[in-house]
Amino acid sequence: MDPSLKRYTFKAMGSYCEIQVYSDSRIEAKQLIQRLAGEVTRLEKKYSRFEPQSFLSDINASHGNKLGIKVDSETQALFNHALSCYEQSEGLFDITAGILHYIWDFQRGIVPTQGQIDEVLPHIGYHKLVAKKSRLFLPKNMQIDLGGIVKEYAADATAKLGRDLGITHGLINLGGDFAAIGPQPDEKPWTIGVANPKEDASLMAKIDITRGGLASSGDYERFFEHEGKRYSHILNPKTGWPSSGLRAVSVASPLCAISGSFATIAMLKDEEDGKKFLEESNLSHVYMDSSEEIGGVGLKV
Amino acid sequence: MKATSKSLIALSTTALALPGIAGADAPPTVKTLSYKISSYKEDELSRKEAPLGDLDRYDIDVHQFQLVSPLGRNMSLRVDANYESLSGASPWFTSAGLDGNPIVNLSGASGIHDRRSELAIGGSYYLLNGSISGNVGYSEENDYRAIYGGFNGERHFNNELTTLALGFSYSSDEIFPTDATLFNRVSDESKHSSSVFFSISQVINQFSSFQSALSITEQSGFLSDPYKLRDSRPDDKTQFALSNSYRRFLVEADASLHINYRYYHDDFGISSHTADLSWHQNLGRRFRAIPSIRYYSQSSADFFTNIDDFLKPLTEYQSSDYRLSAFGAISGGISFVADMGNWKATLTAERYLANEDYSVHSVNQSSTALVKYTRLSLGIDFTF
Repeated sequence: MDPSLKRYTFKAMGSYCEIQVYSDSRIEAKQLIQRLAGEVTRLEKKYSRFEPQSFLSDINASHGNKLGIKVDSETQALFNHALSCYEQSEGLFDITAGILHYIWDFQRGIVPTQGQIDEVLPHIGYHKLVAKKSRLFLPKNMQIDLGGIVKEYAADATAKLGRDLGITHGLINLGGDFAAIGPQPDEKPWTIGVANPKEDASLMAKIDITRGGLASSGDYERFFEHEGKRYSHILNPKTGWPSSGLRAVSVASPLCAISGSFATIAMLKDEEDGKKFLEESNLSHVYMDSSEEIGGVGLKV
Repeated sequence: MKATSKSLIALSTTALALPGIAGADAPPTVKTLSYKISSYKEDELSRKEAPLGDLDRYDIDVHQFQLVSPLGRNMSLRVDANYESLSGASPWFTSAGLDGNPIVNLSGASGIHDRRSELAIGGSYYLLNGSISGNVGYSEENDYRAIYGGFNGERHFNNELTTLALGFSYSSDEIFPTDATLFNRVSDESKHSSSVFFSISQVINQFSSFQSALSITEQSGFLSDPYKLRDSRPDDKTQFALSNSYRRFLVEADASLHINYRYYHDDFGISSHTADLSWHQNLGRRFRAIPSIRYYSQSSADFFTNIDDFLKPLTEYQSSDYRLSAFGAISGGISFVADMGNWKATLTAERYLANEDYSVHSVNQSSTALVKYTRLSLGIDFTF
């Protein structure tokens, strides 16, 4: 009997999520999917900035605490990856930049004054964090936002759990961050359509993945226009202003976490630097630049 | 080909170290209950080899149970229970036959009946870059008792591509032969073994890996065979073993090749080489066939004799145990694995032939009691 596809959609991490699994038994597929969705929920509960009970909220509440806060090995590994993103982007990808979202209100379309921005900038900078063994010391008035890392990590971790549970064919989609458990049953890859930021319904490219991950970053997800100018939700932690580089980037790599880091860093860089950064990575990618030109490598168009 | 980008290396290194992604060492996420039954049967001796008495040798049936279970998020528990029943006869002493060639005299016509029960429990704690494990066990037979324990640690380096492991184990054994007074055997003796091992594993690329392991074991105490009429061995023994294994996955064939080589030496004077080759062929998604072949050759212990010398003083070492003679062995087997998701079954058949002519080492005196055996086993794993 051919295995049948079981899909499950749910909301987590502020996004629409979908888990697709092929299994011989529908009951077994349902149990497996529940385990997988449970892993997403676990990471959301642990690292949500908006959940007062989350561990990330505990970390953020510890700002200025002389004793610091003890962080577990999973969190240490996430901070390590965040440090690597910070270094590779020369300070543009910064998990301490989240406080800019307090002054930039994309939902209501409010642009902060330069004075407000200048007040906030001194409290940004990963290099100001101090870690001693398993303790993290968060300086006063600094905040951590793992939004740019956790969703991608959750997609990888869920796919890995799926493989550990014996699933060979399946795909995890957490709000556009994809991780394949394994190819489709006929060993064909999953073809993922990357949306065109210009038009809602069209695709700007298709990317095949069999085992790795695909992540996208773009100003079509959340942006607003104010006094004739388009502001993306991607904020440059050095200037405090939205970045003005590429409009959308998608990257495929062996892990969604790697893809996400590359996509975000490429978006934060100046347009030409962003393109160069993607090209040098040797990873399959697609981008749209400010003149609405589409470029990339390793794609099915 | 373009060089790999520095950013890709840096970002991959930290991403691969994330615990939900790191693959090499993660606690089990499901419980596995396994049962395996094996039947080991030695071929009968010929009338030429044993002119008198029984020709039957050992038959052993083994039942093995195992439970592996996650324990919280970072730990796992493992319980092993084994039961063996053994019957048959073992070489009692060797003597010269009418033609001067050695002959084997098997132990009493009533034969030997023994049972062995064993229980072992172990746990592992998984860290970000490795794991630490410990175990203790107890084994009991009619005439033998062993208590053992060990611990080991593993650490991953180099983006999880390199793993170093270090371990220690210790065993304290007690021997109290049956019918000790009747046959003038020792009544209660003991021996102790301590072992240390070190291994390095390296993933070469996505298709191949290599592992090398070194172990040193020190045994002291009563190391002779109390059931043989004349068997006297040194009170301590140092063993050294170096094992190497190479695995390669062949994409086109959907199969993997495993090659192992082991060198062993001890201060009884035995050196040995073991080489084995197995081919793991996937047959669709559910089945696998694994043919394998092994070659073994050893030199004899310094004090091996194929005809017991009852005139030699007891203080001088001697033994006619065939396992201390120079010989070679060839064995071949095949396993079939059916993987049904929650259920997995493994059926194995193996044939082993030892012969002095197979040895690459020089054979001054050959043993007449070398074994040939057939082993069949069936294992079932259930995951829940």
